[in-house]
Amino acid sequence: MKNLRLKSARAALDMSQQQLADAVGVSRQTINAIEKGDYNPTIKLCLAICKTLHRTLDELFWEE
Amino acid sequence: MNHSLGYNLGMLAGVLVGVLVGVGIIALLFKLKVMDLTFDERQERARGQAYKYGFWTLVACLLLYGFSDMVLGRWCDVITGAMLCIAAALMVFASVCIVKDAYLSLKEKPRAIMTLLTVVSALNLGIGFMNWKHGRVVEDGILTFSAVNGICGLVTLVILVVYVVNCLLAKQEAGE
Repeated sequence: MKNLRLKSARAALDMSQQQLADAVGVSRQTINAIEKGDYNPTIKLCLAICKTLHRTLDELFWEE
Repeated sequence: MNHSLGYNLGMLAGVLVGVLVGVGIIALLFKLKVMDLTFDERQERARGQAYKYGFWTLVACLLLYGFSDMVLGRWCDVITGAMLCIAAALMVFASVCIVKDAYLSLKEKPRAIMTLLTVVSALNLGIGFMNWKHGRVVEDGILTFSAVNGICGLVTLVILVVYVVNCLLAKQEAGE
């Protein structure tokens, strides 16, 4: 399932996939795979993304 | 082909010195941070899967090589046969890594890798062609160690082609 919340949170901060990737120490393809729903990140990476985008885990990764 | 003990010892010493120099250069490149093989968690996982495919390819090829030797008789030098099996496994490993976007580490630049693959491929294919032209590749109907340059050249060429095709497909996908 696509993670549109991550994509919109990133866009809200006017960040590119590459900028987010550099900030959390992964490749651009990994961010792309998470947004497309092709890869489930570890909790460590989820937390790094949340801290960078100033969001909570629930806001970005919790599925109702 | 039987060689004297001195020849064999010389060959062994040459190989050992070559390996030592190679390891030394690679260690120096790591120390100077020229080479940095840091992968992220998705890449590590993808590379693990690629290693698995590469490993089973190696096993299958070794079995096939052993079986062919048993049935057909000796058709290549043992070291050349081993190199053929390793080449097949490497191609599978690299191709899976490339398709899963896990071939390059976080610090490596695509252009540098493509240049390196092109140079290595051209050099090895060139030497392989010269060996073939001088009739050293097949002697008495047996594929000799001189074929290894051609094999290495072919492996790097295949990896380069897979890499370029994957890049073009990714660009096309991004443009859509």
